[in-house]
Amino acid sequence: MNKPILIVGGGPAGLAAAHALARVGQNSVVVEKEDRLGGAPILSGYAKLVPSGEWARDAIGGMVDRVRNDPLVDVQTSARVESFAGQPGAFSARLSNGASVDAAAAILCTGFTHFDSVNKPEWGFGTFPDVVTTTQVEQMISSGKGVRCPSDGRKPKRVAILLCVGSRDRQIGREWCSKICCTVSANMAMEIREELPDCHVYIYYMDIRTYGLYETRYYWRSQEEFKVKYIKARIAEVTSNGEQLVVKGEDTLVKRPITIPFDMVVHAIGMDPNVDNKTIASTFGIDLERHGYVARGNAYGNTAETSRAGVFVAGAACGPETIDDSIAQGHAAALAALGLLQPARARA
Amino acid sequence: MPIHEQSLIRPENLTTHDQLVVDGVDVSGHWSTFIQSRVVTDYNEAMQDEIAALPGGENVHRCWQCGSCTNSCTVNAINPEFNPRHWIYLVRIGMESEILRDKDIIWQCVSCNKCTYACPRDVVPEGVMKALSHWLELKGHVKPSPSMVFDEVFSEQVFQHGKIEEGRVMQRFFKRTGQSLNQPWLIEMMRRMLRHLPVGMLTKLGLATLVAPRTSGWSGARAAIEEYVHEQEHKRRRALGLDALIEAAKRDAGPVTAGEGARS
Repeated sequence: MNKPILIVGGGPAGLAAAHALARVGQNSVVVEKEDRLGGAPILSGYAKLVPSGEWARDAIGGMVDRVRNDPLVDVQTSARVESFAGQPGAFSARLSNGASVDAAAAILCTGFTHFDSVNKPEWGFGTFPDVVTTTQVEQMISSGKGVRCPSDGRKPKRVAILLCVGSRDRQIGREWCSKICCTVSANMAMEIREELPDCHVYIYYMDIRTYGLYETRYYWRSQEEFKVKYIKARIAEVTSNGEQLVVKGEDTLVKRPITIPFDMVVHAIGMDPNVDNKTIASTFGIDLERHGYVARGNAYGNTAETSRAGVFVAGAACGPETIDDSIAQGHAAALAALGLLQPARARA
Repeated sequence: MPIHEQSLIRPENLTTHDQLVVDGVDVSGHWSTFIQSRVVTDYNEAMQDEIAALPGGENVHRCWQCGSCTNSCTVNAINPEFNPRHWIYLVRIGMESEILRDKDIIWQCVSCNKCTYACPRDVVPEGVMKALSHWLELKGHVKPSPSMVFDEVFSEQVFQHGKIEEGRVMQRFFKRTGQSLNQPWLIEMMRRMLRHLPVGMLTKLGLATLVAPRTSGWSGARAAIEEYVHEQEHKRRRALGLDALIEAAKRDAGPVTAGEGARS
C-alpha cells in the first residue's frame, strides 16, 4: 500500500479530501481532535444547511458514514498531531495517542473557532439569558425543541438578530467579514417565522452580504415571502427593563436613536481563526496570514498550497468559508497532494 | 429635506413653561426650554400589513432602501422634503408618528411612475404613496381635499344613474365643501348661458335639472357596482382594523344591549 496522506481535521473539508483520495485508491489517515467526525456542522448541532436546506446531520452525517466505512481511510479521533517532520513524500508525524504516521503529504483541514460573544459584553451575552448566538438557535431548531427564550421557555414575539458580532470590528481585532453570517441569519429568520408566524424578526445590519445566488434565495426571499425586517443600525448596547431585553442604537436611515424592547436577541457570530492555529503553524512549520488564518502559498496556480511544500490546506482553516466551498477545497487539496506524489502517472 | 440635513432638534420637541419655579427660583419663559427625547421606543408592527392591504401597497415589504425612487422622483426635484424612500422605510418599520409629521406632503405624488420603473425590487413606490395617502384618509389623519370630495360626488352620481348631470354635481360639491352657490363667477356664467345658448339646448338643460337623466336598464349595473364598492371598502376597513375601532367607539358611546352587540 502507498504511504498515506495525513488529513488533519474531520470536518467537511477533511471528509471530502479523505473520500476523494479513497475514490482514486489513495489511503489516508484522518486525525480529529474531538471524539467524533463531522466538524462544526455536527459538533455544534447545525440545523438546515445553506443552500440545499438539508439537515446537517443528514448531509454531513452522510459524509461521515462514507469515510467511516471506507477501508482506505484510517480515522484517529480524540487525537492531535504533536510533531511533524520530513520532506514531501516522506513525512513522519507523531500523534497525541502515541501512534505515529509515515505520510507522503499532509492536508490541513483544521477549520475555525466560533467567535465567543463574551468578548462583546455590551451586547449582553452572558449577562442576559435571552441573548443567544446563532449556534444556540441552530441547536434549538435541530433538536426539535423549537425557538424559545432560555429564561422561561416562552415563545418569543419579537426577535432581533445582530449581524457582524465578532466580524468587521477593529475594536476586538477582527477585521474580516465572516462571509456566511448574513446568509445564515436570513435563513434563520425564515425558519423562526416559519415556526412562529406571530413572531416578528428584525435584522440589524451594517451591510447585507448574501453574495452570489444567495441574494434571491435568502435576502430577497426573507423579505418578500417571510417579511423579515432589515434595519441599518449598529447596536450600541443590549440591556433589560426587567421584563424584556432592550436594544439601543441608532436607526441610521432616519437618524433617530432607538430603544426597542425584544424577547430574544441573537448574535450572528463570526468565524475566528482556529484557536489552535499558532500551535498548528509551529507544529507543521507553516505561515499564518495577518489575521491568524493559515496562509495560502499560492493565490491562483495551486490554491491548496501552504508556505511549506507537501503541506496543503482546505476549508475554513484559511479564512471564513462556506460548507460547500470547504468541501470543494477538500477535493482540490486531495488532487494537489495526489499530483505531488504521482507526477509520473499524471504525465503518462 | 434630505435626512442627513435634518436638524436633530425639532421645533415641536421644544417645550417652554410660561410659569415655572424650581427650588424657589423663577425660571419661566426661555430659561425653562426643554428638548423632548427623540428616541423611538417601539415599532408599530401592524403598519406594514395595513399598507400592504391597500391597493398599491402590496409590495412595500420588498424595499431595501436603495433610494432609486427618491432619486427619480419628479416631486422630490421640486420639494426635497418629498422623500418616498423615507416613508416606505417608516411604513416597513412602523414608525407611525414620523409618518404623521409628513401627512401634508405625502399626497403631493403626481403618479408619474418614474419610481416604478427605477425600482430594482418592484416595490412600486407610486402605489405605496397612493396606499399611504389612502391610509391617512381612512385613519382620519387628513381631511378630504376638495378634489377628493368632487370625485365622491361625481362617482356617486355615475354609480346611481349611469351618467351625471352637471348642475347637480356642482350643487352637491358646493354644499359638501360648505361653499355658497352665490359666487359672482357662477352667476355671470349662468347669465351668459341664458343669453347666448339656443332655446332648444336651454330647454334640454332645464329638463335635465328637474328630472335626473339615467341610463336605461342601469339598475343591474348599479347593483353590481355597489356590491363591488362595498366589498372593497369593507376589505380595507377590516385590514386597517377600523370596524373594530368603530364597534369599540359605539360600545363606549351608547347603551347598546348585549343582544345587539352579539348580532352585529
